[in-house]
Amino acid sequence: TGLEMEPLLQAWSCFRRRKFQLCPDLCSQLLEKSPGHQEPDSEFTVSQAAWILKTRALTEMVYVDEIDVDQEGIAEMMLDENAIAQVARPGTSLKLPGTSHGGGPTPAVRPVTQSGRPITGFVRPSTQSGRPGTMEQAIRTPRTAHTARPITSASGRYVRLGTASMLTNPEGPFINLSRLNLAKYAQKPKLAKALFEYIFHHENDVKNVNLRSTVAHIGEYPFTLFTSKSIYKNALDLAALATEHAQYKDWWWKVQIGKCYYRLGLYREAEKQFKSALKQQDMVDTILYLAKVYFRLDQPLTALHLFKQGLDRFPGEVTLLCGIARIYEEMNNIPLAAEYYREVLKQDNTHVEAIACIGSNHFYSDQPEIALRFYRTRRLLQMGVYNCQLFNNLGLCCFYAQQYDMTLTSLERALSLAENEEEAADVWYNLGHVAVGIGDLNLAYQCFKLTLANNNDHAEAYNNLAVLEMRRGHVEQARALLQTASSLAPHMYEPHFNFAALSDQVGDLQRSYIAAQKSKEAFPDHVDTQQLIKQLKQHFAML
Amino acid sequence: MPEGKSPLREVLPKQGQLSVEDVATMVLCKPKLLPLKSVTLEKLEKMQRDAQETVRQQEMAQREHQQQSQQ
Repeated sequence: TGLEMEPLLQAWSCFRRRKFQLCPDLCSQLLEKSPGHQEPDSEFTVSQAAWILKTRALTEMVYVDEIDVDQEGIAEMMLDENAIAQVARPGTSLKLPGTSHGGGPTPAVRPVTQSGRPITGFVRPSTQSGRPGTMEQAIRTPRTAHTARPITSASGRYVRLGTASMLTNPEGPFINLSRLNLAKYAQKPKLAKALFEYIFHHENDVKNVNLRSTVAHIGEYPFTLFTSKSIYKNALDLAALATEHAQYKDWWWKVQIGKCYYRLGLYREAEKQFKSALKQQDMVDTILYLAKVYFRLDQPLTALHLFKQGLDRFPGEVTLLCGIARIYEEMNNIPLAAEYYREVLKQDNTHVEAIACIGSNHFYSDQPEIALRFYRTRRLLQMGVYNCQLFNNLGLCCFYAQQYDMTLTSLERALSLAENEEEAADVWYNLGHVAVGIGDLNLAYQCFKLTLANNNDHAEAYNNLAVLEMRRGHVEQARALLQTASSLAPHMYEPHFNFAALSDQVGDLQRSYIAAQKSKEAFPDHVDTQQLIKQLKQHFAML
Repeated sequence: MPEGKSPLREVLPKQGQLSVEDVATMVLCKPKLLPLKSVTLEKLEKMQRDAQETVRQQEMAQREHQQQSQQ
């Protein structure tokens, strides 16, 4: 029949329509027909084209923006060999959360993450759990269901990605890396680029067999136990050969080498490559990669400087502005961060991250009605963001802005949109607050119980339940709940303080004092804690 | 309501001492705005879920296959 499409064109069309499952299949058919399978020689142009197309399609399937992907393993974080000083000077490091520049919210108003930073309005792969301060904290966190941090290696997540597509391909990998003559491919610039991206993004999967059996049993953690550094070595080798072939004149290859070094943990080498690439060709992307290196080296000021220089050359560039805002936010300088997020919005009115961050800032600085405007009427909802988080935030903003008619419907919708139990738990937790707000303590009690039913590690819910139990006069239950809460989340001051207050009431002054000290550590400026400690000291002095 | 006709009259003692005891109450944890997820993060999570699903299915198929061959 003459009506069929030319096969290569069809494959190409699939690629353009982002049908990445279909495209490789079509390419495989083409490759099977023609000789020179796996070895694209210049004689067989069709098979060469099909080969590149398949490579690119497989890459696209698992492609994620490398700039955004960033995850530190515990080992890398705690055994940081790049650290220059044990204790950084204030304002120069991302590891000192306490150095607030004033104007930021206190933990009394805005909840903090485990590392002591105010919670943010937006999560990226790199902000998922912040930097824990001690080894103990670091090891404890991944145990709770909410924050999965790779235990050993930064490449944990990357391994996972390759696996996804690999599993759908029962015949094994498309390109057998160990049999590949990299030098030969490096001679052909166009092939080499496609191949590099394939190795870098797709072929993370060295230990496929091991992973298969473990992943199903224990979930995602085992992934993190395997490193795929040998793969980056492959990618790096190819990039090195290619850049040599290009006589070190191709900035693209330099950036790629830098990316490989970054993933291998060789940050200073990565920095050199990115800088050299920038000299050749001024690119926003390269600036972002370089800033990522500085970020990892814990040099936020250098990164800031770099971004600001970049802004001189690319005025109004949103990603650069956003980068500055992120750094300020990480450094706990919320007012400046908000300023830059506003700047972002001036350039790009639909920037979700900026809207979300400004919105949450308003909410926690006692302006829920303005936050509501950001989440609803102006922006996010209109832009088509439609998920559990947004409706939860809408519901909360509505409640605190006294628009009671919308509160419950929003939260109900949030519940129905929740994708997993953790999300549902958070919504129930906030519903509990609404119930407390309208004085329906029974409902509140049930809400917090439901939170725990959904997520057994929800420390805030334990604490709030304890407060409710105390109101009912159940001291023992309250004590147990508070102990659970403070062991789950030692960074929160509330359970410590409540435990101190409770122990003080029943006359257990010693325990009260210990807990009060912990509370003070978590939140030094808390007035009630200070008073309690003063009181206790007086008691002890009288003995 | 016109002044003076209210059924309740406020009492401000003009003599003696007025004291208020400031009792420290227990604190609730604050409501939590949920952070929105970046596109990359959502994609990562989706791919992860898909991967786990695929593995699970493959394992199920394998197990069935083994059981059949044993029979």
